[in-house]
Amino acid sequence: MGTATGIIRALNSGIKHMAIKRFTLRYPEEKLKFVGDGYQFDPSTGVGIAGLKGRHMLFHDHCTGCQLCSIACEGVAEAIAMVKVPEEQKQNKKAIMPQIDYGKCVFCGLCVDACPFYALYMTNDYELSSFSKEGLIYTPAQLAVKPYVAQDSEIQITARGATHG
Amino acid sequence: MTTEIMPGLALQKVDERIMTLNVGPQHPGSGHMRIVVQIDGDYIVACDPDPGYVHRGEEKMAEYRNYITNIPHLERPVIHDSCNVLYPYVLGAEELLGIEVPERAKYIRVIASELNRCIYIMYWLAIYGIFLGHSTMFMWPAGDREFLIDLMEKMSGARVTHAHFVPGGVRNDLPPNFEDVCLRQVNYFEKRIKEYAAVFYDNPILISRTQDTGVLSKQDAIRLGTTGSVLRASGVDYDLRVKEPYDVYDELDIHTNVMKEGDAYARSRIPWLDMMESCNIIRQALQKMPKSGSVRTKLKPNPKTKVPATVYKRVESGRGSLGCYIVSDGKTEPYRLKLSVPSFRNLIALPYLLKGEKLGNMPSVYWSLNYWPVEADR
Repeated sequence: MGTATGIIRALNSGIKHMAIKRFTLRYPEEKLKFVGDGYQFDPSTGVGIAGLKGRHMLFHDHCTGCQLCSIACEGVAEAIAMVKVPEEQKQNKKAIMPQIDYGKCVFCGLCVDACPFYALYMTNDYELSSFSKEGLIYTPAQLAVKPYVAQDSEIQITARGATHG
Repeated sequence: MTTEIMPGLALQKVDERIMTLNVGPQHPGSGHMRIVVQIDGDYIVACDPDPGYVHRGEEKMAEYRNYITNIPHLERPVIHDSCNVLYPYVLGAEELLGIEVPERAKYIRVIASELNRCIYIMYWLAIYGIFLGHSTMFMWPAGDREFLIDLMEKMSGARVTHAHFVPGGVRNDLPPNFEDVCLRQVNYFEKRIKEYAAVFYDNPILISRTQDTGVLSKQDAIRLGTTGSVLRASGVDYDLRVKEPYDVYDELDIHTNVMKEGDAYARSRIPWLDMMESCNIIRQALQKMPKSGSVRTKLKPNPKTKVPATVYKRVESGRGSLGCYIVSDGKTEPYRLKLSVPSFRNLIALPYLLKGEKLGNMPSVYWSLNYWPVEADR
């Protein structure tokens, strides 16, 4: 193959891209669709349930204040601190619950694996940016809120190329 | 010519024609490392790679953390190839802790590791394109990685650092309908990377830049201890997935890509061919995988090794053979952990390859070595 033929073939391959569909995603308007409701863990079988590892969700009626999530995080990111909570739960005599600093969290999900009481899960919420360091620290009350996550785009493969439909 | 005037203080006499040039450590053409190049006009006389700017002490950190909490740390050296970096550690920890792995988990690991290999090579290829001034070859791989990153996100829940492998299997089962989505996206991905031939690999401009530059002969490749794509581009048929199969690689039909030229063009082409082979392996693994079953052997929260023992495991990563040596003294933490990384082994060849080359050929030879600075420094 001659030099001229090779260059023309390379240009031709690029020109074909003018006809195929746009693959990029217009992020704040369109958001990716995820599998499930976030990463969860079933302590009875020891196997997790697939999902995005995003912001945590804490169930106050399940948490016993056993600190296992905090101990699991000690060797990883030291993001979890146990703090006093005002409300009194029957199963939580010490009234302490995890508070997570997302400035340190690496979203590995080992704290979810450590929880034996189905109290700590992860959710699809990944938009956690804040203007201050304090804004990244989520208290037990903030962690109890189930986030609303808009999901509309999924990769679709058509004859005219792939697109985020 | 070096004369030592005091202990530890040496003076070097330099030729007036020779200029010493520092490339890096903040140069876009070198990554997080420095290459001290001595040039005579436009020709490189000598070259001294100087890694170590991003040393993070991953191996020492591993001695203070137990076998489970080591996982997020040990995948940090190469975040784009995080499953393969973690793989030898997990295999070693399994042998030390005496755990059996379920059959389905082994197949999931193979799929995840092949997806990660492709994700890493696409990133490497994007940078190789922009090193050579080919900005189309930066945009296309950076965009086409998304198909595989999307699959890894569905599988493990994270886009880059997955923390998916654990001693005893994988963290979670595949999501429903994953097999169909995976097959569709991998097939489309393979179709896309085949289009790179016309725009990049058969492009006469690329061939004139890379052919016959930085030639590494077969004997030198073996003598210098290179590994992975560098070794295979010099004509040595060596792939750990075939030669020392781990997990279920012995049940899969794997073809090793070998080229005998040993120049920068061959070293850049071998990873591209490897990606197509990876797509093949993923399709085979999806077919042979058991449709149901456990994916993780249940462990105690803080497992202890049974007896004091040492173990060395190695796998074929995106860059070459990656080994992990663990010494255990029967506690919950490893007594000593050492990674034997392919990047550092491939870097050793750089001074031999650059001697006599033009300075403009330095980026094409340097990045063709499949070198990742952070992994070499650990």
